[in-house]
Amino acid sequence: MAVQNILTYPHPILKKVCRPVDQVDAEILQLLEDLVDTMLAGPGSVGVAASQIGVALRACVVDVSNNRHGKENNHGRLLMVNPEILEASGGAVMREGCMSVPDYTGDVERATEITLRFTGADGAVRELRATGFEAVAIQHEMDHLDGLLFLDRITSLKTGLFRRKSYK
Amino acid sequence: MNDCRKAGLAHFAVTIIGKDRPGIVADTAQVLYTLGCNVEDSSCTMLGGEFAMILIVSHGKPFSKKHLEAEFAAKNTGTGLSAFIRTLKDDEVCYREPVGELCLVSVYGSDKPGIVYRITRELADRQVNITDLNTKLIGSPDEPVYVLMLEAALPHGMRVEDATELLQNLKKELSVEISVRLITPVSL
Repeated sequence: MAVQNILTYPHPILKKVCRPVDQVDAEILQLLEDLVDTMLAGPGSVGVAASQIGVALRACVVDVSNNRHGKENNHGRLLMVNPEILEASGGAVMREGCMSVPDYTGDVERATEITLRFTGADGAVRELRATGFEAVAIQHEMDHLDGLLFLDRITSLKTGLFRRKSYK
Repeated sequence: MNDCRKAGLAHFAVTIIGKDRPGIVADTAQVLYTLGCNVEDSSCTMLGGEFAMILIVSHGKPFSKKHLEAEFAAKNTGTGLSAFIRTLKDDEVCYREPVGELCLVSVYGSDKPGIVYRITRELADRQVNITDLNTKLIGSPDEPVYVLMLEAALPHGMRVEDATELLQNLKKELSVEISVRLITPVSL
């Protein structure tokens, strides 16, 4: 059990593009374990990316099975190394918050169906199709691997709805 | 901010409103920056042909409201902008996070008096706390349509379905569409 501190912005690592993992060795397995422990320690957390605990490598974990939005539709605990999105479709807006950006939330639009390829903790490459909240959570964590925060994705101010109408 | 990190500083609520033009925010920010004030929290928007700014500003040292008023008066002379300033106590500065679910209530229909009042009274009577609210008159002069969008924190234990139920009667009475959606942020 090794719960790590979640780094918060403006820590520079959060804006870094993370390096691919060469192979799943003992060090990477330890990293994945730390990510899981840190996720489980965060109240209501459904995912953590390596950069959030100070490691600039392409690895993240997601588990939405205990979340009300994800409990009906999930793949359990996903430990992902070098994840890539092969296909994405659909779109929905959710108000997101992030442990690395405390005290702020914003509406972000994300794909609702994704096909994903990643290397698992056993070193084998897997593909899976995630939908709904699990897809949203995976995209949020994968953004961290590219140095993107949800702040980079907010599509509108709360009042944006009204702004397209002009006075005549 | 969830805590009172800035407790002990001088805090003011500043409201600026005037005919919209480019530069209102920059002019306001210039006054505050020159005085060494921090903008802690703010919301600014166009309302009709006006631009309205509401800001919580702080200053690291004891600082009089009069001083701030004088600076705004000097800057705003001849611009048609009005400034209103109120000194805040420490307990007015702290942001208290809502405890219950956050929901978005959308109300729209043919314009008539009382839409805002009836909806918000119903919510207030059940301790639903509005955190954001916008209204707009749209449609044509012949068929004006009123749109009200609000975000509200439900009291502990109240569900979105309960809030929907609560507003059902008003839907008929006011002949408007009302929907309530859950928008509680997801923690990722």
